[in-house]
Amino acid sequence: MWRLMHGVAIAALIGSAAYVYGVKYRTIYASEQLVKTRHLINKEKDAINLLRAEYAHLARPDRIQALADSKLGLVPLALTQIATVDELPDAQPKVDSIGRTLESLGFTADNATPAVTAADSTPPVR
Amino acid sequence: MAASASDPGAKPKARKLARFNLADLLADLAIARLRRYLPKDFGVDLEPPGARALRPALAANATKSRLRAFGRELLSTRLDRSGARVRTLALGLFVAYAAIAVKLLALGLSHDPPQTLKAAADDAVSGARPDLLDRNGAILASDIKTMSVFAEPNRIIDKDEAVELITAVLPDVDAKELRERLSSKKGFIWVKRHITPKEQAEIFHLGLPGVGFLPENMRVYPNGPIGAHVIGFVDEDNVGIAGMEKYLDEQSLTDPHVPGFTVDPDRLKPVRLSLDLKVTHALRDELTQGLERFQAKAAAGVVMDVNTGEILALESLPDFDPNAPGDVRDPTKINRINVGVYEMGSTFKALSIAMALDSGKVNLGSHVDARESLRYGRFTIHDFHATHRVLTVPEVFTHSSNIGAARLALMVGVPGHKAFLRKMGQLDRLRTELPESAEPLVPKRWGELNTMTIAFGQGLNVAPIQAVMAVCALVNGGMIMPPTFLPRTEEEAEKIGHRVVSEQTSESMRYLMRSNATHGSASFANIPGYYVGGKTGTADKIIHGHYSEHRVFTTFMAITPADKPKYLYLTIYDDPQPAPEDHGYHTAAYNAGRVAGALIRRVEPLMGVPPMKEPPTEPFPIIARLGYGADAEKTGKE
Repeated sequence: MWRLMHGVAIAALIGSAAYVYGVKYRTIYASEQLVKTRHLINKEKDAINLLRAEYAHLARPDRIQALADSKLGLVPLALTQIATVDELPDAQPKVDSIGRTLESLGFTADNATPAVTAADSTPPVR
Repeated sequence: MAASASDPGAKPKARKLARFNLADLLADLAIARLRRYLPKDFGVDLEPPGARALRPALAANATKSRLRAFGRELLSTRLDRSGARVRTLALGLFVAYAAIAVKLLALGLSHDPPQTLKAAADDAVSGARPDLLDRNGAILASDIKTMSVFAEPNRIIDKDEAVELITAVLPDVDAKELRERLSSKKGFIWVKRHITPKEQAEIFHLGLPGVGFLPENMRVYPNGPIGAHVIGFVDEDNVGIAGMEKYLDEQSLTDPHVPGFTVDPDRLKPVRLSLDLKVTHALRDELTQGLERFQAKAAAGVVMDVNTGEILALESLPDFDPNAPGDVRDPTKINRINVGVYEMGSTFKALSIAMALDSGKVNLGSHVDARESLRYGRFTIHDFHATHRVLTVPEVFTHSSNIGAARLALMVGVPGHKAFLRKMGQLDRLRTELPESAEPLVPKRWGELNTMTIAFGQGLNVAPIQAVMAVCALVNGGMIMPPTFLPRTEEEAEKIGHRVVSEQTSESMRYLMRSNATHGSASFANIPGYYVGGKTGTADKIIHGHYSEHRVFTTFMAITPADKPKYLYLTIYDDPQPAPEDHGYHTAAYNAGRVAGALIRRVEPLMGVPPMKEPPTEPFPIIARLGYGADAEKTGKE
């Protein structure tokens, strides 16, 4: 009985030691991963900063101005280019231009909805 | 030994009774009893020889009691022995403290304390700084990570070889100077700051012991010289030297860069300025074009929000690239807006007329005699555009009459004039967030003649930013507030600002500036659709102690829109020459005025202000009720 108890105790001891070792190993591994990931995050952050600075450098106003002057040919807004709502002409009466074109081409007959006679329209009452 | 006193008695007793078990037991108990009252040392064998044959239980009992005795001994104090022990202890402590003191002295006296590489590196690398952003979030200054090469001279074996190899990879490192520094006894030196990844790889492959790399922060200014005077710059160690960069350090918004006090760079929040990058670029571009066209020595300009006092743009040419500031003490590259002090010329007439109107001694309908040149002692004040007639107050402004302005100031008197200028912040040093500022040059003895000349802008040198602040107060409804380079809301501005002139005076000034744009000297800046008001100022420069007619300092102030101003523009040219098409004119209207006009045309759309097709219907209601300002409706040359 005692012998068995001792055996169990020793087995439990070794087992728990092995488990603790496993946990410790995994902890070390996880903390190393954590440090690595932190480094990676910092590296990415630095890279983002660098790219932001580079973008700002490429989008600096004097460069954009030089590009716009040479490629776009835009001119400053002039007073004559601005109109108020009152100055807009009134809307013209609506014209069915597509319908007119069809009419002029003589397609009216084909497109006309078939006439429905009164007799067909209502089903017979039963 | 005190314990041995009991031995002679105890031992024979035990031996004698050893024959009988009971006797032995009794004896042992007696010894245990005895030991209870007679303390003894551990390790001294008190066991009687016969006791070894005792039953284990009894032996254990004896050991237990012995241990108990020892424990008691340990916890009790023996006075007869304490003296020696205390002395021993005192000696030990004395030796220990003496050793510490000697070491401290040695550390204090040594000049070059041994430094670990980590500490040296912490000391040497540049601290982090927050990003600087413009009001819309565009980057004005940012930190990037770069690598720097360092060396530990005491770990380098062959110094000559190291110098040779390093200078082969980094040709811009001075070999002689590097050899000198490597021969020093320092534990840490920089070889070169901020190297490229390619250079880093090459040095790494040299495989030199005692040479390593450290990541460092490097300040970059992606926009180059745009807004350089406001942004400022940093030195090699990322410490602010000028402008807002220095302000950041003064406000402890950067990594303090003291060992043990490092700040997490992520916790440094970006700092937003009131500057607008696009407007600043437009200002710099227009000023540069003008500088070439008019062959001027220098130029400067400001765009300001009159309701909040925020500086949207500030430029002073010639300027510098903060990425490579070069000679920082070059006097031609100063911030002329904040540091230069100048006679502002006719723009000061705005102040004189506002003072006269606000004092109630004159109104817009009053007349001033400008028929004759004004004599004072041996001095005579002339008009540049002499009219030789009686002028109304608005005419004094639009014709820029020196005589009129002098007479108006004399009506208020010397003390009143002084008090008014002090109230407007013209006589004291104006401090903004920028570390750079200048004391105005105020005449020591201020008589009537001084008042007369200062009334038209001669004899008092102020920093242009002071004049901007005063004109801003004159047109925004009468509230003066210090200009700022940080964002400020209108509510905050209301709290800071205090009234210096009445609403009516402010509106009169706006009307005067507007009429000056429609039929006065500011017509070049009268950009259709923006209801511009303006005032020119041309001051003769003092050359060899005399005012020179050929060398001038021109200023132009414009407000848009004049009925309800939002922006104030200031342009300055130092010693401009007449442009070929201007028939020899080099007064403010032709250079500073033109540039201000171009600037307004360009900046207003940037700020989201579309041009108005029709002028405002009732631009100046207060003075209209008094019966003035009807001619403001006239569009003049518009």
